[in-house]
Amino acid sequence: MNSIAVKDLQKTYAGALVPSLSGLSCAFAEGKIAGLLGPNGAGKTTTISILCGLVEPTGGSAEILGMPQTPANREAIKRIIGVVPQRIALYPQLTAFENLRYFGNLYGFSGRRLKDQIMQHLETFGLEKAAHKETGKFSGGMKRRANIIASILHEPKLLVLDEPTAGVDVQSRSMILQFLRDYNAKGNSVIYTSHLLEEAEQICDEVAIIDEGKLVTQGTPSELEDVFLHYTGHAVRD
Amino acid sequence: MLRIIATIRKEWLLLRRDKAGLALLFAMPLVLITVMALIQDAPFRDYQEVQFDILTVDNDHGRLARYVREGLQSGGQFNVIDSIDGEPLSEERAKEMVAEGKYKISITIPKGATAEIVSNANKIVNDISKRMGLPSQLPVKALSNDSLAVQLYFDPAAKKAFKSAIHQALDNFLTQVETDLLLERIQMQLRSRDSLNQDTFPAIRLKAVALRETSLGEGKQIDVISNSVQHNVPAWSIFAMFFIVIPIAGNMIREREDGSLVRMKLIPGNFLSVLTGKLLFFVGICTVQFYLMILVGLYLLPLLGLPKLQVGVDHVAGFLVAASIGVTATAYGILIGTIFKTPNQALNFGAVSIVILSAIGGIWIPLEIMPESMQLIGRLSPLSWGLDAINDIYLRNGHIRYVLPDLAKLLGCGGAMLLVAAVVEQRRIG
Repeated sequence: MNSIAVKDLQKTYAGALVPSLSGLSCAFAEGKIAGLLGPNGAGKTTTISILCGLVEPTGGSAEILGMPQTPANREAIKRIIGVVPQRIALYPQLTAFENLRYFGNLYGFSGRRLKDQIMQHLETFGLEKAAHKETGKFSGGMKRRANIIASILHEPKLLVLDEPTAGVDVQSRSMILQFLRDYNAKGNSVIYTSHLLEEAEQICDEVAIIDEGKLVTQGTPSELEDVFLHYTGHAVRD
Repeated sequence: MLRIIATIRKEWLLLRRDKAGLALLFAMPLVLITVMALIQDAPFRDYQEVQFDILTVDNDHGRLARYVREGLQSGGQFNVIDSIDGEPLSEERAKEMVAEGKYKISITIPKGATAEIVSNANKIVNDISKRMGLPSQLPVKALSNDSLAVQLYFDPAAKKAFKSAIHQALDNFLTQVETDLLLERIQMQLRSRDSLNQDTFPAIRLKAVALRETSLGEGKQIDVISNSVQHNVPAWSIFAMFFIVIPIAGNMIREREDGSLVRMKLIPGNFLSVLTGKLLFFVGICTVQFYLMILVGLYLLPLLGLPKLQVGVDHVAGFLVAASIGVTATAYGILIGTIFKTPNQALNFGAVSIVILSAIGGIWIPLEIMPESMQLIGRLSPLSWGLDAINDIYLRNGHIRYVLPDLAKLLGCGGAMLLVAAVVEQRRIG
């Protein structure tokens, strides 16, 4: 089974002159860490938005762990997918613990079990001492880590991350990448978008490069180094 | 239920840490109400318990001047001044003081005014007697070319309604003096005709039909006089409740901008429960706001020398009205927060629209004194429905059935705005 599979996926936003996706087709095997790479505006975020049901495609189809993304399946898909948005989707005036308790409550968790789970995750990400600090006062890396925790409270089988390491320090980046490996080792699938092939090379089993809403190529990171240079203008180790 | 309670707790934590938001929601409305009630106290009192000083110059020293003085004083609204520093007022001095704006009005009773009225009455009685074949006995002054007039001087800034009320009152006093003197002369003439039965003439009733006023309010406080507190506290409370639009819209746009809204939508379960939590929280805040402002009317304003707010007899109905206004205000905030893309747009539109809706809805000045076309427009404002309902409960001692139409309009409007917000949000997914 595939973790995700999109076929001839198309999306043109209302009022837009050019489509964001023009027939994207690709698939990643379940239980792997896969990278969706491409320059800014390639269609990565739109693809993720369609996969998790936030945006309706203009054409084509998308499947998550074998389930077609349709209005009928939307609730079931939300239970198995965890999405880490590119923006820090946390309330800056609330502490890390209050933020995570709120989102945990929305998932239907409460009480001791939720509290223990939150504290365990905070410890994993090195945030246990900052549990009761407002997230608005966190560093960029701390915010990114807390942002990931809020998306894994329900232990999703598929974790989709939109540029999770953008603008973070080295320590936070290595902590995030290590977490993704560990999470994948438990049998979960991870889809990861980035414009850094170097990072993808460190953790991804497979990579798809997209540009102008279409698949350019798909393969292992080392196989795609030259293609990536052509599309982004950056070598892997610039 | 967990999602609703969690959302209420989250909103409370966010509000508690937003000092500026707390000030906007609670402290500023209390200051607004206190200031508005204080500054509008004088205009409200103009027509009620404020005493006006009236200068009177009595060049007549007769019955007319006495009637005018006693008549003006009897209402309690005028304080008649006929001397300054122990010196009787002259017409010139009184005129100067009114022109200087020290007094609003001066009345001069001309010399010989009472004598002129007596002479006129005598002439009428003599005419009647002559026609009845009786001898004319009462003295009549020779005809004069100069007609006498009670002279009025008004402060140029005096309101038209005030001038008109004074004119009417003085007209009444003149008519009363003339009538009294005429009746006296008729009685004198009749008595002189039948001197044996002097005491048998029945008293002449001057007022065969009287005026009686009955208030249509129910309950104990039938006659709550509309005063500054009674108008300003409910009116500006509703205005302040609608200002909750600003924090709600700002909060929603921030949630959309920072991605928390997306996160909430990615969580399984009905998003309506999150919105319900938000709605309940802000309706609760509106209701607390309303009752804090009512407490100001009940306890703080009387300490500042203003009348105490009367809150009617049906407190449950009052609560339901406050909560319904809260629903409409919150729904309006959600609608603005959904439609607009930036906090600046929402803040500007929200604030200006509330000021307009409050102006046309009778918050600043009562709808009844607006032009008819503006009244029609004003009746479309949710703020006017809220104010009408509050006045029904507080001023007219109404019960829940009095305000059901207004409650239906408030809740219907709130529901419609939420529906539009839902449609707009749904379209964003496409």
